[in-house]
Amino acid sequence: MGRQKEDTVRQQGETERGHSETEGGHSETTWGDRMRTNIKMTAAPYNYSYIFKYIIIGDMGVGKSCLLHQFTEKKFMADCPHTIGVEFGTRIMEVHGQKVKLQIWDTAGQERFRAVTRSYYRGAAGALMVYDITRRSTYNHLSSWLTDARNLTNPNTVIILIGNKADLEAQRDVTYEEAKQFAEENGLLFLEASAKTGENVEEAFLEAAKRIYQNIQDGSLDLNAAESGVQHKPSAPQGGRLNADSQPAKEGCSC
Amino acid sequence: MSDSETTAAEAPQVAAEAQDAAPTETPGGSSPTETPGGSSPTETPGGSSPTETPGGSSPTETPGGSSPTETPAAPPRAPGPRSRGSAQSGSRHRDARRPRHRRPRLLAHRDARRLLAHRDARRPLAHAPEVSTDVAPTRRARRRPEPKPAAEVKETQEVEEPPPKTPSESTVSQAGWGYWGSWGKSILSTATSTVATVGQGLSHVIEKAETSLGIPSPTELSAQVEEEEKQQASSPEGDASSETDGAVGGAMGMFSSLTSVVQSTGKTMISGGLDALEFIGKKTMDVIAEGDPGFKKTKGLRFHNSTLSQVLREAKEQEELQTAEGEASDSEKKVVAHYGMLFDEFQGLSHLEALEILSRESESKVKSVLTTLSGEERLQLRKELESIRESFSLVEFDDEDVDEQKDEDGSEFEEELTKALDGLSVSTTAGKLSKACKSASSLISEMSRPEEEAEAGEELVKKTASVEEVHAAAIRSLAELTARSIELFHKLAEMILFSSGSTEAGVLSQLTVVLCREISLLSKKFTSCLTTAGSNEKRDVLNPLITGVFLEASNSASYIQDAFQLLRPILEISHIQRTADSAEQ
Repeated sequence: MGRQKEDTVRQQGETERGHSETEGGHSETTWGDRMRTNIKMTAAPYNYSYIFKYIIIGDMGVGKSCLLHQFTEKKFMADCPHTIGVEFGTRIMEVHGQKVKLQIWDTAGQERFRAVTRSYYRGAAGALMVYDITRRSTYNHLSSWLTDARNLTNPNTVIILIGNKADLEAQRDVTYEEAKQFAEENGLLFLEASAKTGENVEEAFLEAAKRIYQNIQDGSLDLNAAESGVQHKPSAPQGGRLNADSQPAKEGCSC
Repeated sequence: MSDSETTAAEAPQVAAEAQDAAPTETPGGSSPTETPGGSSPTETPGGSSPTETPGGSSPTETPGGSSPTETPAAPPRAPGPRSRGSAQSGSRHRDARRPRHRRPRLLAHRDARRLLAHRDARRPLAHAPEVSTDVAPTRRARRRPEPKPAAEVKETQEVEEPPPKTPSESTVSQAGWGYWGSWGKSILSTATSTVATVGQGLSHVIEKAETSLGIPSPTELSAQVEEEEKQQASSPEGDASSETDGAVGGAMGMFSSLTSVVQSTGKTMISGGLDALEFIGKKTMDVIAEGDPGFKKTKGLRFHNSTLSQVLREAKEQEELQTAEGEASDSEKKVVAHYGMLFDEFQGLSHLEALEILSRESESKVKSVLTTLSGEERLQLRKELESIRESFSLVEFDDEDVDEQKDEDGSEFEEELTKALDGLSVSTTAGKLSKACKSASSLISEMSRPEEEAEAGEELVKKTASVEEVHAAAIRSLAELTARSIELFHKLAEMILFSSGSTEAGVLSQLTVVLCREISLLSKKFTSCLTTAGSNEKRDVLNPLITGVFLEASNSASYIQDAFQLLRPILEISHIQRTADSAEQ
């Protein structure tokens, strides 16, 4: 089932690309082809139970957008343009048998955008804090990113540290142990991943989602709080456990 | 013009259908919930939603003040100024959880605005047909005033014939009404049946206003476009660009042909019709207040701030929900196009949410700066901000302001877009927008390709171009274009915030005008495609689809305009920062 969902998501991404590629000369794909995809997309299943808001933060060039692209499209984007402000990605995942839609805010790493991107932290349920294992400077800046993340999100926000570019072992500048220790000291989840090979990318998003879900289950994350970053979908088939949440938590924008 | 009479005759019929539909739906003893937005996880949206119970719909309301001839005698203007006032107060109150309040208020607000616009002497009469054909649905569409009856129609159909056996008429109309219904449920989720009757009355008025002006029905309009297009497209070269030109030329023809009609009927008629609408808006409020005990309860929360993305999100969720259900029960419904869902798929919601965050933060920053200043400085800043504010409030987005003789296809739009965005460094996003627009244009020209051209291998393609598919393509294109427009505004907001250069409000409003015009143009082209594709369909199948496209187009335009308004605080804070910077130097 989860597999099927992934396929759907991937297909959607591909369709969108297909759209933009062929729009000039409409000889390649027929109108009917596109239409059928349209219809398929329209009828795609949307029966997820939760929406989690994620943010991805970290220095410029550590591969935040590539991680997102790998996660949503299962492809490596070789020459990724600098992100301006924030970009978005979504994917539906299965977490402990529940379908969860991840709404991912991929922020710009450039310092000049910092003031603007700080605005987007609010109401995130999960934060992916990314550094580049081949560039120590990006690791050294983590404390600054962590300060922002802690100050601008709520105490329950799950933060996962990701050492990206794990495929470039030869150029490694930050050891696994060192980063692991940093993560433990600061109560962060930790993984080394590679947006290029796809290694641990899925896991990174999933680990954070599992922790968020766990927080919901044990009641430490209040879904009714405006800033929880979690939106419960009353529509989806649910156990009676969460019936107390009759008021769906609106995401970060309920003032 | 004999056709227009037929349409008019049908309008009450549709309304009657909705009324007939009402009693068949059993309230099922489900107690009407009064908690706005408090949908419990167990709630099933099918037909059992307690809020849908049409208990005592009073059909007598319908024809009430619906005749345009009556209307000049009933011009209570209260809603207009009130809502204008609230709009000026800066924040736009739109509470997703109290849709029934929003509807009449906004309606009144928009009407008042348009009313002013139309009474303005500088507006040439010749443009009036545009108002009646395009804007009438617009007005109707604002915040989906009407879908309540639609939802009922649809539900009744479901009750009576659970799985439509053939992909013929019943399915088609379900497709059309279906997505109306989904909006209806979301926006009017707490409204009681009185609203339905008022809604019908409203549509009735519009229909009547249209006919009394001698304005053809949507079907007719697009048919006209089609005809003229054919005439022009009969020239030898059949390539895409010339076809698009043809379509546009056709649209032009439509306007000129209508001009004479309106010139003879005159302006009083139009403003009379608008009075009627305003009156209905007011009346809706009253009826709701009287008929709905929940209204009083929630009244206190009425000005609770809510955001556009919230409204859209709610709508989208309802649609998703419906799709999920529809899939299980009815595979035929696959063609139903869900604007909200598509809009979200193109990340329109996310960008809107982000834009709202920036706008809100800027707004509060501006406020705090104002409180720290005193005396002369404060007065000066207030004056400066006022001038920014003015350039946002005086913009008129209606098509009439635009030179209609101008030809447009995807590339010209791109040109204008580039011009409007010159020096704003948002080329990536603008590129996406142009692509979306071009892809829509090419879709249209492919769909409106004459039969003969669909030669070997393409025959299958041609056959699949059913009305539902054209409709789905239209909704999808509108959703994409709107989402990309919102994205563009969001990117602009970001650029304005971190760059120190000044951005003129005029540039942004020009951009908004360009976008809205493109939306309007696309909707016209698509409806003309619909007419071609549906030449064998019955009117009551085709009409809802065409109206649906116009509806979504007008919603698209209002989302874009709302997004534009969100830029105001951003320009204000940018101005303040710039002033502070230059003072330091």
